[in-house]
Amino acid sequence: MDKIRRNKFVIFFLVFPGLLVFTFAVLYPIFMSAFYGMTDWKGIGEFNIVGFENYRKVIFEDKVFRTSLLNAAALAFFTVFIQHPIAMFFAIITDKIGGKLESFFRAVFFIPCVISIVVTSKMWVNVLNANYGLLNKFLEAINLKFLKQDWLGHKDIALFSVIFVIMWQGFGYAYLIYYSGIKGIPEELLEAGRIDGANSWQQFIKITLPMLKPVILVNVSIAITASLKQMEPIYLMTNGGPGTRTQFVANYLYMLAFNAQKYGYANAIAVVFVIVCLITTVVVQNIFKSKD
Amino acid sequence: MKLLKKSLAAVLAIALLLGMSACGAEKASTSPTPEAKTPETTPEPGKEQITINFFSNLPDRTAGQGLLEQTIIDNYMNENPHVTIKVEALQDEPYKQKFQSYVASNNLPDIFNVWGQPAFFQAVMEKGYAAELNPDDYKDYGFFEGSTTDFSYNGKLYGLPRNQDMTTVFINKAIFEENNVKIPTTYNELVEAAKAFRAKGIQPLSINGRDKWILNLFFQDLVIKVSGNQRTIYDASTGKTSFASDPDIRKAAELFKGLVDAGLFQDSFTSADYGAAQNLFLQEQAAMFYMGAWEVGMASNPDNSEHFRQNVALIPFPVVEDGKGKVTDVCAWNGGGYAVSASSPVKDEAIKLLNYMMHPDNWPKIGWQKGLVVPGQNYKNYMTGNENVLQVQLTDILNSATSMSGTPWNDFNPGDWKSNVENLIQEFAAGITTVDEFLTALDNVVPK
Repeated sequence: MDKIRRNKFVIFFLVFPGLLVFTFAVLYPIFMSAFYGMTDWKGIGEFNIVGFENYRKVIFEDKVFRTSLLNAAALAFFTVFIQHPIAMFFAIITDKIGGKLESFFRAVFFIPCVISIVVTSKMWVNVLNANYGLLNKFLEAINLKFLKQDWLGHKDIALFSVIFVIMWQGFGYAYLIYYSGIKGIPEELLEAGRIDGANSWQQFIKITLPMLKPVILVNVSIAITASLKQMEPIYLMTNGGPGTRTQFVANYLYMLAFNAQKYGYANAIAVVFVIVCLITTVVVQNIFKSKD
Repeated sequence: MKLLKKSLAAVLAIALLLGMSACGAEKASTSPTPEAKTPETTPEPGKEQITINFFSNLPDRTAGQGLLEQTIIDNYMNENPHVTIKVEALQDEPYKQKFQSYVASNNLPDIFNVWGQPAFFQAVMEKGYAAELNPDDYKDYGFFEGSTTDFSYNGKLYGLPRNQDMTTVFINKAIFEENNVKIPTTYNELVEAAKAFRAKGIQPLSINGRDKWILNLFFQDLVIKVSGNQRTIYDASTGKTSFASDPDIRKAAELFKGLVDAGLFQDSFTSADYGAAQNLFLQEQAAMFYMGAWEVGMASNPDNSEHFRQNVALIPFPVVEDGKGKVTDVCAWNGGGYAVSASSPVKDEAIKLLNYMMHPDNWPKIGWQKGLVVPGQNYKNYMTGNENVLQVQLTDILNSATSMSGTPWNDFNPGDWKSNVENLIQEFAAGITTVDEFLTALDNVVPK
């Protein structure tokens, strides 16, 4: 067996397919993007090389790009500080319930993740519609008319509506990861705590939370990168509107490439975006590492 | 135990393989559209079977223009059994996006929809993606004067328009009568109507503000009615004058803001797409609907309620008090049309199909007589007296028009002009920018 493992041909044979896929599916497109980012290509006909002009504009001048990043930051903030505590809370509760109810709730919380984003997004567009939407009708029915809003069209509210829907859609994943983390905590630890007289709160703070730390790290990193990459719900719900108030980077560059015919510029954004994502991931990892 | 593991692994591997092949198969057959049925007649001997790929922006094949297009396609296949026409249809915005990727991969379908507007068609003609057409073929087709101008480049013809487009205010007479609101003929009356409907909890006018371009058209209508000069908005768009310093454009922007503030547009109009806005009107939840003349089919579509069909009407865009524009200065152009791919392997057959479609006996005649469209070709000879009310009213407005705008201003310049000015007007309509900010921002994106 060892001989086979040390055989260079075997190593090559095993690594090569993966390397090939990675090269053509990841490296090559990024390289091409970086190249097109240096052109003024309109997606049709010939193009001129314009050097780093596009990149300079993206980083120093593009206000919409900045808005998009800020929106992503807002989404990440709300996901980590609102969605995650709630997800963890429900994970603990369902774990405590046990039995048939446990699997029932587990399934219920995960349903939004199983349904296509197109379906859930369109559902929320209808629920949040100002004219015939369920939410406004409900508020009217319970005599809270003054709370009625143009949820997706108001310049100051739209972003929060979008963030809410995205958090709702992603809730199941966050919940499931916490849930499996909690399931992995040995029962003996909690039992020992109970024998020593710890109440539920103390058990949570002193045992569950520290034991969950690695899971929290993973979950938070996933949440932050996912916030940056949001595209489908935005495209389907507001398309970045009103104006650019709910714009996110992925949607913005898609619009630029396919509606504004600024292929070159959109590619430059894509490259800058990849770099931003990489930096964010590294920073997040480092913050957690230093705390370890 | 080992055996179990091995067999499990084998099962998983097979499942993966199956999954992959399923994905592959799916890709090959993905087409979100109703595929045209192949006629069941036997192919003529001696004629080679050919397939023409047809890319359309009319996904609803059961009503309006989509129905007309599909009817003609079906007729053609029945008359030419050796031809199979495969239709792929998407709504406007997804259509434009997919069109771009077809162009980028040099993979255009044989015949496709185009908008005869510099923002869309100019680059396609310039770079040689569209096949040249022979103008002599269309001498007897009765296209209206000037209607093929925007489908031509350097004196050569590359496409054909299908309709006479015009901005239109559709109204629901019943809602006006029941609420004792006067049908507006002037700007102030429009504001009054908006306030009156709002007071009764009715949405005054439905508009698809998410699609943005409709707001540009509405603004252009206001500019025309204020300045009385069709050139005003184009001169500003090309940098001859400026948006911020032209008093008529400034006045129009203030009037536009006045309408937004009066609550003319329905709640949430900046997030309403075409379908949502139209439904509001079809369900008789909104008193008015601002859209193009291509929606005249609403009055004859049996899917719409009897009550709606009896009460729908259309009015000319209201004039502005002390504005210089007359009611007969209209915002009208030839937008949608067809072109053939220059690199199509069945180019000649595709042109034959195009010529058949636009033949006076087909698109204009069938379309007009079935109450589906207002054709871009002379349809006087096809009057039957059974036209629906919208067709009649629209023809009246078109016949009495003293000036027409041509290509809408947001489509007037090539490049990113369109997406820039569309974003700017949506921000303005949503109250994010002021009149000053809006006009200055427009000046900043004028191509230099």
